[in-house]
Amino acid sequence: MPGAIPQSAPAPGQSSPLVLTPLPRVHRGWRVFVFYSSALLLTGMVSMLFADLLWRTGWSASRTVLFILFVILFLLIAIGGMHGVYGFVLRAFGDPRRITQTDYRAQSIAGTSTAIVFPIHNENIVRVYEGLRATYESLEKTGQLEHFDFFILSDSTDPDKWVEEERRWYDLIHELDALGRVYYRRRTDNEGRKSGNVRDFLNTWGRRYRYFLVCDADSVMRGETLVDLVKLMEAHPTVGLVQTVPALVNAESLFGRIQQFSNRLYAPLFIAGLNYWALDLGNYWGHNAIIRTEPFMQFCDLPQLPGRKPFGGQILSHDFVEAALLSRANWEVWLAYDLEGSYEEAPQGMIENAQRERRWCQGNLQHGLVLFAKGLRGVNRLHLLLGICGYLAGPLWLMFLLTFNWIHWYQKYTGLSNITVHAFTPFLNLSGTAHALLIFTICMGFLFLPKALALIDLAFDWERRRAFGGLARTSVGVVGETIFSTLHAPLLMLWHTRFVATNLFGFSVGWSQQKRGPDGTTWPFAIRRHWGHTLIGLVWGVFMWRLNQYLFWWFTPIFTGMVLSIPLSVWTSRRSLGARARKLGLFLTPEETKPPPELVSLRSQMKIHEITADNTPARPHAGLAEAVLDPYVNAIHVSLLREKRLNPVYAEQLARLGVGREEVRILGEKLLAAGPAALTAAERLLIMTDAHALVWLHRQSWLRSGESLAPWWRAAIQEYSRRD
Amino acid sequence: MESTLTGSETLTDVSGKLAGRPLEEWNAAYAKVENYFHALRIRNKALLGQLVLRVLERAMKRAPAEPDRSTTQIAAEEMDRIVTEWFAAVLQEPPTNADQMLSTRGRLALLLADMPGKWQDQFLRPGPWPVEFVGAMRETYLRAGPDFQLSKMTARPFDLGPLTTLTNLGRVPYLKMALAWTLFALLLGAIFYFTH
Repeated sequence: MPGAIPQSAPAPGQSSPLVLTPLPRVHRGWRVFVFYSSALLLTGMVSMLFADLLWRTGWSASRTVLFILFVILFLLIAIGGMHGVYGFVLRAFGDPRRITQTDYRAQSIAGTSTAIVFPIHNENIVRVYEGLRATYESLEKTGQLEHFDFFILSDSTDPDKWVEEERRWYDLIHELDALGRVYYRRRTDNEGRKSGNVRDFLNTWGRRYRYFLVCDADSVMRGETLVDLVKLMEAHPTVGLVQTVPALVNAESLFGRIQQFSNRLYAPLFIAGLNYWALDLGNYWGHNAIIRTEPFMQFCDLPQLPGRKPFGGQILSHDFVEAALLSRANWEVWLAYDLEGSYEEAPQGMIENAQRERRWCQGNLQHGLVLFAKGLRGVNRLHLLLGICGYLAGPLWLMFLLTFNWIHWYQKYTGLSNITVHAFTPFLNLSGTAHALLIFTICMGFLFLPKALALIDLAFDWERRRAFGGLARTSVGVVGETIFSTLHAPLLMLWHTRFVATNLFGFSVGWSQQKRGPDGTTWPFAIRRHWGHTLIGLVWGVFMWRLNQYLFWWFTPIFTGMVLSIPLSVWTSRRSLGARARKLGLFLTPEETKPPPELVSLRSQMKIHEITADNTPARPHAGLAEAVLDPYVNAIHVSLLREKRLNPVYAEQLARLGVGREEVRILGEKLLAAGPAALTAAERLLIMTDAHALVWLHRQSWLRSGESLAPWWRAAIQEYSRRD
Repeated sequence: MESTLTGSETLTDVSGKLAGRPLEEWNAAYAKVENYFHALRIRNKALLGQLVLRVLERAMKRAPAEPDRSTTQIAAEEMDRIVTEWFAAVLQEPPTNADQMLSTRGRLALLLADMPGKWQDQFLRPGPWPVEFVGAMRETYLRAGPDFQLSKMTARPFDLGPLTTLTNLGRVPYLKMALAWTLFALLLGAIFYFTH
């Protein structure tokens, strides 16, 4: 194993803390002040205009509520807009405070060791391994492969997935000739979910590696980027984490392509803006980031939060908190936003996207408690707060709209006169309607300003412009994306409101798995998920029509998104529509117009799998059958289980599960005589975790005569005899 | 297949049985052994047939002495014995049946040495074997990871100050009930307000 842990790190088993000189914070403090002052100044001015408008029509308690909501919501818009503005300026004039500004490329990575880890949990394993293959092959081309090891860290609980992961892992290392370079381990205990999975890796092998790089199940990294990340870490010994900005790729549906288009076009501005004020107190997004192992192990083990769910217990969105803990210990965390070659995939439909939002929502709300932890840096608290606001904005918008409607309803049905008086800003000389329109225009302007700036930014960059398919097509794409996001926003508002409410009250939303047809979301599934949205849109629309027909037209974008949610969800999930838009040159991204080799390799491998895949439905408990009957899969499975016993932690977990006890052998007898359906899921999993039981089952299933085996086994053996 | 078996003059009897057992039973035994070798990815049909017959010949010798055991079972046991003995010879390990791990190691070695792809002709063949094959069988091993280097991360609890008290509000008895009642009261208040 090349490399070693840094000299400053304590010997294994010891835990003497690292001593570092605190970094100068003056520049960042100034930047934070300037950035947020800009947003607050703008919010203050527009809020004054809004307060004036409310005053003109007679102030009331409900108007106070409306005003407070407006201030909060506009502040969030202003912060978003400022990220765009600052990012645009920095991209135009150059940002000297980037981690990539130094000449790190001359740095040698000899003597370093980096683990690239893929934590997985019941994933589409073909996709995960092909992503790993593309990354591995790309890294191999750099000639620096010897400094990296790959780990598939499985937390899968589905026995079929488990066996498939092991079988395909062997195929992968066989094809790549990567025995001893790509490893697979599955945990028996899923404690701590993804962060627990990574922690388990660190506790077992972490001290062998100076750095580790976390990938998501759908991550792909360019080899040169991986090497660059290690060089950056070597060149900056006070840096604890470098986060890349993954480009969304491989989308085929219309929704996915719109998402990846907006990600590729707008994100560079926003992230440059974010880097302006965050600097070395950047953030961690959980994947596609390199981490210095030693400080992470010392400072980033996550504590349980006091109290009960939704706030207490295990920290779900661990990444932001881990970055905050690193920063608290004076390690720098940077966003390497101009480092290309980092990719991930996005959900292909609105419902899948909402499912992911639901998970993130709970984790972000939990940060409400972390926000008050002593010792955290102010900038980290800002990251946490902005994450929370991202989800609270939905219910706040809904409250704003409902309060607005309430005021109008109250006005109409109480018979109060609607006489406008002069504003206290008479120099504007505006009528009530013009006054309202001005505020609305400012809000919309700031909401859409970053999009316009992204287009201008593109217009001055010939190479990027070409990569997006030209300025005209990109402009049409921006218009299309804006129309779609206008229709999608009310649905996100309703979804976020539901997620926040259910999380706060401790209820589980309990969503079933997405049912996808060959071309996207099916109509029945979309109806089940969106009928409520449609109904709310219709009722609200009728209410507004009866209330005030003039106002009705202002609310049309909101109702339209809700009323059309079912067809919108189905159509935008269509691959065929995504392909048609691509043919028209709409929503093109650089990875589509000029695909990098690692993505070309990934796509071609996935295509081969798609063509050669056996689409006949697998028999129930196919994984168990394979682990018992297949001589090679059984041998792989048993070998990996046996190796676990060498680790005292795993050995203890196995003993706790009951592995090795006589009861498992009895269950094995039952399994052979009555088939897997006679056992509970936990019993089947226990058998599959017991190496001796599996060796015994393999032998018995082949030695015993057919009559002494359950019909299920006879059928499974028969299937094997026909398999090529 | 059957013509080959009946050709074995020493084992046929006048009633057309093989080793005193009906042909159908040997047919089933043949299928069982063939299935297992097939599962080991022996795809060459000539070799496959030859290996199955070798197993059945040993089973036929045993069969007359064990009239209470089924033909398939005897054949399967012979297959298991032949394979394990061969693993012991190739891997130079004693053929103990104590925990059946020799069989597991042997199968894994076959896979890692790419027996199905490169060395089908060597499978169950008595030694000496090609050096490359023996090397591949004995030296390769599968591992979930490099050597363990165990350590233990320790979490440092957050100091939330007075907020810690607030996080335990959920444990106050009847809090949820009281919350539900409050919501109900608010609903009643709202109904009253709107209807008057």
